[in-house]
Order: sequence, then structure tokens, then C-alpha cells
Amino acid sequence: MENVIECRNLTHYYGKRLIYKDLNFNVPRGRILGLLGKNGTGKTTTINILSGFLQPRSGECFILGEKIGQMNPETRRRIGLLIEGHVQYQFMNIEQIEKFYSAFYPNWKREAYYELMSRLQVAPHQRINRMSCGQRSQVALGLILAQDPEVLVLDDFSLGLDPGYRRLFVDYLREYAKSEDKTVFLTSHIIQDMERLVDDCIIMDYGRILVQMPVDKLLNDMHRYTATVADGFSLGEAEGLYNPSVVRNTLEVFSMRPQEEVRAVLAQQGLLEVAAEKVNLEDAFIGLTGKY
Amino acid sequence: MIRAIFYKEWIKIRWYWLLALVASIGFSGFAMLRLARAVSLKGADHIWQVMIDRDAIFIDLLQYLPLFLGLGLAVVQFVPEMQRKSFKLTLHLPIKATTAVSVMLAYGAVMLLTTFIPAILIKFCYLQSVLAPELWQHILYTAAPWYMAGLAAYFFTAWVALEPTWGRRVLDGVIALLFIRIYFQPAKPEAYNDFMPLLTVVTLMLPLLSMLSLTRFRDGRQD
Repeated sequence: MENVIECRNLTHYYGKRLIYKDLNFNVPRGRILGLLGKNGTGKTTTINILSGFLQPRSGECFILGEKIGQMNPETRRRIGLLIEGHVQYQFMNIEQIEKFYSAFYPNWKREAYYELMSRLQVAPHQRINRMSCGQRSQVALGLILAQDPEVLVLDDFSLGLDPGYRRLFVDYLREYAKSEDKTVFLTSHIIQDMERLVDDCIIMDYGRILVQMPVDKLLNDMHRYTATVADGFSLGEAEGLYNPSVVRNTLEVFSMRPQEEVRAVLAQQGLLEVAAEKVNLEDAFIGLTGKY
Repeated sequence: MIRAIFYKEWIKIRWYWLLALVASIGFSGFAMLRLARAVSLKGADHIWQVMIDRDAIFIDLLQYLPLFLGLGLAVVQFVPEMQRKSFKLTLHLPIKATTAVSVMLAYGAVMLLTTFIPAILIKFCYLQSVLAPELWQHILYTAAPWYMAGLAAYFFTAWVALEPTWGRRVLDGVIALLFIRIYFQPAKPEAYNDFMPLLTVVTLMLPLLSMLSLTRFRDGRQD
């Protein structure tokens, strides 16, 4: 499958602090890929590099086959960008901003924008800086839908949104991306939203990618194992067992290995009564990255 | 696309532009009214005499007005771009970033000139009706570097506003302040006559500074 986004050997530092080294990932055409990571793992850094607003220390990224940083403006026309916090020109109202952007995009879909705007309880002349975060998110999404780009890069789309607006945003975006075969790269700090939206996920830890795989496969493979343990129990090192923790004599550990293998490993450590359960994406994320 | 950028810039500056136009015309009109009153009280020949004997130009109160108008225009035009980094939106438009910034600067500079030109015309129309050509030219030549300073203040403020880091903004601001002093150095009227062509060229080069800020912004420089 053709890769719409390719990043190779990305390395970046802020001062002397390493954000990540030799990061590689691809986003195939028509897929929605979510980048998950704790604060400070480099999600926004990656988005900034992909949007051309940050020069990585080394490595290179391509979108639609063009190197970011030397991108032709015509290629930029095919990329929709949502900036963290749904930033839009604060000094415009919803009519002015539509009129402004429509001049840049030949395939501008005015009706798509106004369809979404009709859901907002705002006057046509109300300036964006007087709108709530939820309303601003709809303006930003409406502009992206009207632009009709091939690739969407969305930075923390759920920031500041209440559950209703988050759900509206996610449902609209997923429906749009799937029906129009769009490629989406996004981050969010609310992982439940990602679960409804993304096909594939990258889970980052400090300085590296822990997993990149389809969400379905991750949720199918990842299990949480719990067992009652004695005071002072400590689970020994075992390959493929992630972030074991003991709270009030209950051991919790996550693994993507087959259940029988995990049970065998735990049995070697004296744990015979082990419960296994499927997890949601947030649990899988915590399982891989730890709680702290 | 260029017209769309003009439209965006107009939305940002329209109320300020109107205010600046009123201020520019108002202050020039006031200065001319004061001069007209002096002419009616003491006669034009007395005004001529004072101008020759004491190097008076009668429009001193206008000296720093273009400077403040230029500074204010750049603030209302470029500070909103930097709020919440919405400048990223401009740079993501399907147009070369340098073109977008150049169009913004050119639009602002032209709009600033539209606030200066009526004021200069008011002075020209009145002064040439009561003063000898050498005298009204003397006043307008003396005021020329003030208007040039207004343009310089606009370009310098744009440079500082588009700079992405606070530390560098302060440094750039200090450099701009020191440079702006060049436009107000000698107290003697018409002292800049020989220097004006060079000052004009230098002033017209100042938009290049904003390209430095643009490069730093795109490189991801931050505090």
C-alpha cells in the first residue's frame, strides 16, 4: 500500500534533551493513524515536524512524496492542518474566514462548511475569539472539510472539548475520512476518542516507539492479567510482560504474548490462579507505558 | 490568493487604519490651523521672518506621530498572527511563505502611506498658499525623515512581532530602537537632505528583517 506519510530516522533534541532518536514510521493511504504518548514524549514535536514548523536535528519526513521543508505550495493545498487548540484566525467571524480560505482552494466545498456551522449556536458575525472552544473546534473542522484535503494532520483535536463536541468531532471526522478515503495522522490526549476513530496507532514512550500496529490487533493481542499475591511479592523480569504493579495484594501485568505462554511464565513464579481479560485502548496504552 | 491575504489584513487593521487616518489628518490640520492663526494675527511676512531667523518649521508636534502610527499598525497587523501561533495558519496556506509575508508587509506599508499622504497633502496645500516655495519645501523636507521613520517603525515592529522567541524579541527591539534614533538625530531642519536617498534605500530594505523572523519561526525556534 502506498505510504502517504513517511518519516525516516527522525532525531530531535530540545537543547541537550533527547526527544527521540531514529524514529521511523509510515502512514499508508486511506488509514487513520493515531499517535499516542504521555506528555513530553514528542507528539507535538512530531506534528510540528510534519507540518513544517520544526526542523528535526536529523532525519527526514515526506508527505505525498515531497520532503517537508521544501514542499511545493501546491502540495500543501492537499494537506489539511488542525493546530492544537483548534486555533483559527481569532479576528475573523465564520463568514469572513470561509471567504478567506475559499480563495486558496479550487475544490472548496462551501456547503460542507456551512452544514457544520448550522449546528452552532452562533451569529454569523460573531468573531471566533468570542466562541467557546467547542464552537471553535467545529469551525476548524468545517474549514478542513471544505478544503477537502487528501491528508489531514490533526494536533490534539480533543483539547478543551466537552464530551458532546468530542463525539461530534470524532463521528464527523471518521465518517468523512472513511467515505472519502482520506489519510489522517492525529494526536489526542483522550484515548477513548482515538479508539472510536483510528485504524492504526503508534504508542510512544520517551525517545522511542513502543508499538505501531492496527488498533484491532493491539486490542486483540493485549491482555491484562491479575492475580492475588502475598505481601512483598515482586514479579521477576520476563520478556513481553509490561509494567507489573501490585496494589493491595493484587498483581496487575499486561502482555501481548499468547495467553498460555503468559500463564506459563506466571506459573513459574508461583502464580497459578491468574485472571486474564481483554482491554480497551486506554488500558493497552497504560499497560505499555505504565501509570507514571 | 493575494487578494485574500489583502482581505485578511484589512480585517485586522481596518479600525486602526481609520483611527490612524483621522489622527494623521487631525494633527496635520491642527498644525496648519495653528499656523493659519499665527499668520492672521501677525501676518505672513512675520512667519517668513521667524522661519529664516530661528529655523522654525511650525510642525514640530508632528515629529513622532508617523513613528507611532507605523508602530501601532504593525502591532495590530502582526501581533494577532502570533497569538496562539496562528501564524502557522498563514504559513500553511498554499502560497510561498516568503510571498505571503511580503504581501502582508507590502499591504501594511501601502496602508500606512495612505494615512501619511493626506496629511502631507494638507500641509502642502496650506503651506504653499502662504509661504514662498523655499519655505514650504523647507518644512516638508524637514518632515520627510519623520515619515520615513514611520515606515521604518512599521517594518521593525513587524520584525520583532514575528520573531518567535522572547529573548530575541527584546534584542531585536533594542536594535530597532537604536536604529530608529538615526531618523531623529540632528535638530537642524533639512539636515537629512543629502542623506535621504540612502535612508530611503535602507528603509526599503528593512522588510528583509521579517524574513529572518520567518526563517526562525519555520525552524521551530521557541523559548
